[in-house]
Amino acid sequence: MSRKKDERGDELRNLFFESAYELLQSLNESGLALEANPADEEILRSVRRAVHTLKGDSAACGYQSLSELAHELEDVLSPSVGQREGGRLAEVVLSVADTFELLLGAYKKNADIPSTDAVRKQIRELLESGEGAEPKTAVRAGAPAGSGCEAQFAWTEYEQLMVAEALHRGEMVYNIALRIDPQSAMRAAAFQLVRNVLHGAGTLIALRPEDNAGAANVDLIEASLSCTETAEGVVRRCKIPSIVKDVQVVRVKAIESPEHEMIGDILEAQAAAAARAAEGPSAAAIAAPAVQEKNAVATAVAESMLRVEASRIDSVMNLVGELIIGKSMLHRAIMEFGQKYSRDPLHGKLSDALSFQSRILEELQKSVVKIRMVPVEQLFRRFPRVVRDVAKQCKKDVALELSGESTDLDKGVLDTLGEPLAHLVRNAVDHGIEPAEARIAAGKPARGTLYLNAYHQGTQVVVEVRDDGGGIQAEKVRAKVVARGILSQQEADKLNDREVLNMIFAPGFSTAAEVTEISGRGVGLDIVRTVLERLKGTVEVSSQPGKGTTFQLRMPLTLASIQTLLFHVGGRMYAVPLSAVLEITRVTEPEIRRVDQKEVLQLRDRVLPVVRLSRLNRIHAVGKSKRSFVIVIGVAEKKFGLLVDSLAGEEELVIKALPADLACGDLVTGASVLGDGSVVLILNVNAVVSRLSRTPLMEASA
Amino acid sequence: MAQFAALLRKDNQPVRYLVVDDSVFARKNIIKMIETFGGEVAGEAGDGLTAIAEFNRALPDIVLMDITMPQMEGIEAVERIIRQHPQARIIMVSSVGYQENILAALQKGAKHFVQKPVKPEGLYEILRYVLSDEAGSSQPLPVSAGKDDVQ
Repeated sequence: MSRKKDERGDELRNLFFESAYELLQSLNESGLALEANPADEEILRSVRRAVHTLKGDSAACGYQSLSELAHELEDVLSPSVGQREGGRLAEVVLSVADTFELLLGAYKKNADIPSTDAVRKQIRELLESGEGAEPKTAVRAGAPAGSGCEAQFAWTEYEQLMVAEALHRGEMVYNIALRIDPQSAMRAAAFQLVRNVLHGAGTLIALRPEDNAGAANVDLIEASLSCTETAEGVVRRCKIPSIVKDVQVVRVKAIESPEHEMIGDILEAQAAAAARAAEGPSAAAIAAPAVQEKNAVATAVAESMLRVEASRIDSVMNLVGELIIGKSMLHRAIMEFGQKYSRDPLHGKLSDALSFQSRILEELQKSVVKIRMVPVEQLFRRFPRVVRDVAKQCKKDVALELSGESTDLDKGVLDTLGEPLAHLVRNAVDHGIEPAEARIAAGKPARGTLYLNAYHQGTQVVVEVRDDGGGIQAEKVRAKVVARGILSQQEADKLNDREVLNMIFAPGFSTAAEVTEISGRGVGLDIVRTVLERLKGTVEVSSQPGKGTTFQLRMPLTLASIQTLLFHVGGRMYAVPLSAVLEITRVTEPEIRRVDQKEVLQLRDRVLPVVRLSRLNRIHAVGKSKRSFVIVIGVAEKKFGLLVDSLAGEEELVIKALPADLACGDLVTGASVLGDGSVVLILNVNAVVSRLSRTPLMEASA
Repeated sequence: MAQFAALLRKDNQPVRYLVVDDSVFARKNIIKMIETFGGEVAGEAGDGLTAIAEFNRALPDIVLMDITMPQMEGIEAVERIIRQHPQARIIMVSSVGYQENILAALQKGAKHFVQKPVKPEGLYEILRYVLSDEAGSSQPLPVSAGKDDVQ
C-alpha cells in the first residue's frame, strides 16, 4: 500500500516538474513581452497567472523556497508597479524566472537549495521604491489578534423598524454575531461569504460592517436576520468551515414600532424596482454561451494530451516501415500472379484486398509520422530569451523575428537541433550584429535584426538563422584558414569565396580561448557541423559583407518514408521525392540545345537547364536512345530537367538512412528496399543539381 | 494522509466532482484528495470554457474552480454556470492574493472558497458544509454529519 503511494507521489512529482518547466517557459515569454510593453495589463496578468500557478503547485509539493519566492514576486506584479517601474519589473521577472529554474533543478536532483536572497532583494527594492505597495500586503500584515469587544447589535432606527416589521409579519428574527477565524487571510472574501450565507437563510435586515470595504480588518460580524428557521438551523448555516470560528445567535422577541405599515410599502416598492432592473441584462446574456460552444469543444480536445516515451513511437514507426516493404512485396507477387493467370478471378480478389490494406496502411503510417512531428515553434520559443540575454550582455539592441514556426519537424531532430541552433543564434548576436554606432555609421538602423525561419523543401527541413549584421569577409577567413594550417596557401587560393566561407565549420578553425570578430567563443562552429552531420543534414553559410550572414541548416526528414518517382539511368534504379517532381515530359536528342556551355531544353515558353545523371562519374549512359524522359524538378525557385532513360513508376519508400561511411557524399539521402528485394538509392536533388551545374560541360561534349 | 469518513450524496451515491484548474498538477493534487473523501471525478477542465462544457455534460455535484486560468477566468465561468444552473455548487480554489476575484466569484454565486495550498482537512470540512446545502440554498436539507454543538 505504502509502495503504491510512493509511486503516486513520484507521478505527481514528475507531473509537477513537467508543468513547472512549461510554466517557466511561458513566464519567460511573457516576461519578454512585458519588457517591451511594461504597462500592458494583459501581459502582466499572464505573468501573474504563471507565477501564481507555480506558487500553488510548488506549495502543494512542499517546495517552500520556490513557492515563497513566487509569492513575493506575485506581490509586485500589479499594474501600478508596472507603470511606475517600466522595464525594471520585467527585469526582475526574468531574473526570478532564472532563479525558479535553479530551484527546480535543485529540487529535481534533491540537491541543496540555492539562495534566493539576491532576487528577493530586487523584489523588495521594487516594492519599496513605490509609495503604495499592494493593498493585500497590508491585509496580511494587519491581521492582529482579535479584539475582545462583544457584539453590540446597535442597529439604526431604520433597521429597528424593519425588525419590528418582520416580527409583525410573524417571522423569526435573530441577532447573530460571527467571529471570523483569525487564520482566514481573506477578510473581505470571508465577509462576502458570510453575507451570501445569511442571504440564503432569510432576509438580512442589518449587517455590521455594512460592506466589503469595511470588512478588511474586522473580526466580528454582526447581523440581524429574519427567517423561518430555528436558531439551531441558523447556527448550523453560520458555522462556515475555515471562515467562522464562533457563532452566537439570539432570538429577538419584540421591539416596539408603531409605523410598520409604512415600512412595508417601502419594501414592496423596492422589490418591484429590483425586479424591473433584473429583466434587462438577463435577456441580453442568453445568446453568448452558444457562441462559445465550439471553442469549448476545441479546448476539450487539447486537454486530453498524452505523454508517451519517444522510443515507443519509434518502434511502432519501424514496424510500419517493415509493413510497407511487406506491402510492396505482396504487390509485386500479385502482379506476377496476374501476369501468369490473368483470367483467374482470384487475381481481382487479391488486388481488392491489397488496395484495401494499402489504404489502411497509408492512414496508419500518416498517423504514426504525425505523432513524431512537432512544430519547430517548440524550439524557436526559447530564443527570444536567448537573444535578449546575449544582446544585453554585449550591449546591443537586437530584435528577433520568427517565421515558419508551424513547420513540422521530427521530435528527435528537433531536440538535437537545439544546441547548434542556440550556438548560431548566440554567435549572430555576439559577433554578427555590429554595435549600434557601427550600424548607424554604415547607414543601417541602430537596432539589429535576427531572423529565424523554418520551412520544408522537398524531403528536407530547412532552418535559417539570418542576421543583418556586418557579414563575414571571405578574405579574412582565407587568411585565417592558412594561418591555422588547415589549408595551404595554394589550396586556399583555389577555393571560391563561398567555399572559403564554409571553411569556418572546419575543425580547429576557432579555438576556445579566442574571441574573434568572425567566430565565437567557446565551442567552435565545427560542433554545429558535427551535429548536423549526425542528423544527415548540412549546414551552409552565405554572407554579403555589410549586409549580413545567413546560416542554413538542412536536415532530411530521416525517419519518414516518402512518395518517390522511380527511374532508370544507366541500367540502375534511382528515386527522387515525388514532391519535388513538377511534371514529366519526353524529349528527343535534337531538342536539347546548348546555350553558353550549358544544355537547355525548351519546354513550352520556358527554358530549362538540363541535367544528365550520366555525367556523374560512375554512371555510364547506355547507348544513345533517341527519345528519353525528362523529369522536371523544382528546387527552391529553380526548375530543371533531369534526363533519364526510362521511368519505373511511383512507389512509397521507407528511407533507410545510410551509415555515414557508406554514403557517397551528399548526393544520396538514403536508400530503400523495394518489394522484390532490390535496393534503390534516393537522390538528394539539391546536391545533385549543384554538383552537376558546377561541373563543366566539356566531358559530356567530348 | 489522514482517513476521512466518506462524503456521500443524500442518495448515498459518491459525490461527483468537476475539477477545474489550468495546472494539471493542481488538478491531480485535488483529485487525489477527493478520492480519499470517497468522491468520484466527473470531469476535469483546464480553462473556463471547457469547465462550462464539462459542467453541462457531467452535471457534477460539486465544482472546484481555480480563479486564474487562460481563455476564460474562473469568475466568468462561475457566472455562466450559475446562470444556467442556479443550484450549482461551486467552490473557488485560489490563493491569498486573489481576494477581489474570490469576492467577485462569491457575488456571482460561488458557494465557498479554499485557499491554496489546499489542505485535505480544510477541503473536507468545506465540502461537507457545501454539500449540506447550508451555504445559501433556499431549501436547506438536513445534514447527516452535523454534530457541532449549538450555543
